[in-house]
Amino acid sequence: MKEGGRANALLVELLIVIFFFMIAATTLVELFAGAKLKSLEAKALNNSMLEAQNLADELYGSDTPEAILEGRGFRQDGENWVMDYEGFTIKVARRSEDSEAGSLITYDVTSYQGEKQLLTLPASRYVPKEVSP
Amino acid sequence: MKRKIALGPGAASLILIVVALSLAMMAMLTIIAAKNDYSLCSRSASMIEQVYALNAASEKRLSELDAVVAKAAKEQGGEAFLKEVEKNLPQGMSLEENLVTWSEPLENRTLNCAVQISGDGSQPRVKWVSHKLTVNEPEEDWEW
Repeated sequence: MKEGGRANALLVELLIVIFFFMIAATTLVELFAGAKLKSLEAKALNNSMLEAQNLADELYGSDTPEAILEGRGFRQDGENWVMDYEGFTIKVARRSEDSEAGSLITYDVTSYQGEKQLLTLPASRYVPKEVSP
Repeated sequence: MKRKIALGPGAASLILIVVALSLAMMAMLTIIAAKNDYSLCSRSASMIEQVYALNAASEKRLSELDAVVAKAAKEQGGEAFLKEVEKNLPQGMSLEENLVTWSEPLENRTLNCAVQISGDGSQPRVKWVSHKLTVNEPEEDWEW
């Protein structure tokens, strides 16, 4: 009889322990999921930063930037060039300011993670023109 | 034959406390590490953005200078050319002989630029000579 009562108490204790463990596990899983998400964001930011830097430098140094974009597999989306990478997207927008003396051509290399903008690197290059005296 | 119960009263609770505390500690360390990683990446990204923004600004200023040089070459020749350039130099630029210098500040960084202009406005009218990035003061607002 005494042994049966002890077993019952143990059973109740186990049930309570399992209940509290479930609550703790729910909270901890949320925390781990948050950490994983943050880590993925950091990875995407880091990779996109390296990729955007490489691209911006190539665009700055090239005389045929569109060919560079095509060669890298970018697709044209209206005025912009877009490419999807693992975990992020890079968009390249071209703008040009023309003056009598030359043109200032800027390629804005922007990386996104979903809708969130991660960073923008402008690659500007001034191309002077021949001006007749 | 009676079966003995190995687990005494309170042992399960003790195990729960140990396991839950260990898991909580691991979760805390994981989230701190992830946040630090993200913070480091953001910091790095913002610095790189600043450098590229400064470079873009310097190219814009070069275009402004070239417009002045081209205009002066059109209107003046010989010695009057440099005087005309000096008179119309964009704000913040200074001319010494045929070297134009200026600085591009952005937050705690400064890009010191020097451009050589041709003495008579012939091509190439402007040529980069120096493009130096300096950090004005160490950053102390680093947030861990």
